[in-house]
Amino acid sequence: MLAYLQNIAVLFCVNAMLAVTLNFIMGYAGIFSLAHAIFFGVGAYTAANIAMHFSDSLLLCVAGAVLVSGALSMVLALPALRVRGEYFVAASLGLQVIGVTVFSEWKSATGGLGGLVGIPPPTVFGHALATPGEFLGLAAGGLAAVLLITTALLRGSFGRSLMAIRDSESAAQAAGKWVAAVKTLSVAVSAGLAAVAGAIYAFYMSFVNVEGFMLETSILLMAMVIIGGTGTVFGPIIGAALLMLLPPALTYLPFLPPSELGTVQQIVYGSIMVLLMMFRPGGLVGGRRKRGKA
Amino acid sequence: MTPRGDTSGAVRAADAGPVLLRMQGLSKRFGGLQAISDVTLDLPAGMITTLVGPNGAGKTTLFNMITGHLVPTAGTVHLHGKPLARLAPWQIARRGVGRSFQDLRLFTHMSVLENVTTVIERGSWLWQRRADPERIQAVLNDAGLWDKRHERAADLAYAERKFLSLARIMAGDASLWLLDEPASGLDPRSFDRFVALLRNYAARGITICIIEHNLDLVTQLSDRVAFLDQGKLLACGDPAGILKDPQLAAIYFGERA
Repeated sequence: MLAYLQNIAVLFCVNAMLAVTLNFIMGYAGIFSLAHAIFFGVGAYTAANIAMHFSDSLLLCVAGAVLVSGALSMVLALPALRVRGEYFVAASLGLQVIGVTVFSEWKSATGGLGGLVGIPPPTVFGHALATPGEFLGLAAGGLAAVLLITTALLRGSFGRSLMAIRDSESAAQAAGKWVAAVKTLSVAVSAGLAAVAGAIYAFYMSFVNVEGFMLETSILLMAMVIIGGTGTVFGPIIGAALLMLLPPALTYLPFLPPSELGTVQQIVYGSIMVLLMMFRPGGLVGGRRKRGKA
Repeated sequence: MTPRGDTSGAVRAADAGPVLLRMQGLSKRFGGLQAISDVTLDLPAGMITTLVGPNGAGKTTLFNMITGHLVPTAGTVHLHGKPLARLAPWQIARRGVGRSFQDLRLFTHMSVLENVTTVIERGSWLWQRRADPERIQAVLNDAGLWDKRHERAADLAYAERKFLSLARIMAGDASLWLLDEPASGLDPRSFDRFVALLRNYAARGITICIIEHNLDLVTQLSDRVAFLDQGKLLACGDPAGILKDPQLAAIYFGERA
């Protein structure tokens, strides 16, 4: 039972990190990306490759994952950020589709559909992390770090620039904001920190394949952000908790036949989304803030 | 186009002092529409110039070409004698051109304080110039918004929102302010406060260019008036002369010949 709870807790931390980093661009920069799972995946594959071929040092693997994912996101964001709002959503959807194809076809780097097996446990100052307890500590520490970094950035001038651009791009330009640079940097920060989650996930599972980085994951992450509260600090974490706990919670309902669980889960997800958007459009945490004249 | 006597070439005020901004032969074409044709106009330093003219005369288009939000089809804009061509709007803003928008474009989900703070913080990367709290307080006091500094911009009353859009420019260090219908919809009390505020900043050496339909404001505030119609600069000079011109009045009030 303890192992089961620890497993859920680690996966919750990984998903919460992803939701927090996605909220960083969705809630504060107004950039709605359906490709977040790709940067999660780039982080996971990069960390796995570094660990398998070069060094199993945790610090090195995570740093590599952050750099590769951040740099890649900048290259992709530069052309894509020329389009705004719903057009960027479509562009990011295209990116997600391309990413999945690359993940499943680039066999030398990703192991193809079979994925990468036998990722060694990461070492911290020579000590190899192996027990579920240690991984839970790592994942919780990662979540705390991601939360700290994003919150610090958002509380400061960078956050104000981002929000100004979100509320009115032309007025932000008229105020001297280099809109393209601020947006690109925010995407790089978001993708780089999502890669931290990817690295931790790869080490925890000791196996990665494309299944974890499909469009479904991107949509689930966006749902976590929206349900919890876009543009709030703790909303994405609550959204992640809710959507992570729902599947195991449903298995405890005695009147549900196990074979129907998947269907019921989808209906519950869907209903939560519809009801929330009707009654709390700002999400569970941000319900009141969004109201009032815009 | 109805032919008129006074439309050929540009008209320039004779009494202009040192020039802060110079527009030369500025034109803008949107597909088949000639929005601005061959406008040559100087904004003398430290003066308040008002752009008047009927709706669709091209006043806002002129602003957009100065600030880089639109690229001119022909012509040049010089600020302090240096060309602004090919600069992005944010670069022109950092060279000292501040502007307001007719539809305000406040940072609606941010507080009054944040709206003003972010304008002062320049640098765009992670570490930016710090905003001086005393300056922010002075600006918000001037704008009458200090007591509302923690309210969201979206929750302000109409006049307060107008003052906030002005406060954003006051907080920056622009030497030229382009104000697009800043006084429209203000009640008489707010209007007087607004006029006093602009006079105050003009006296400190700020060059101001205003698009305005309110002729009270034009006469109370302007040093010079430029009259635009259908993309052409018809006249430019002292307010009394322009506003008394029967031909221009006829155009403005819609009694076309």
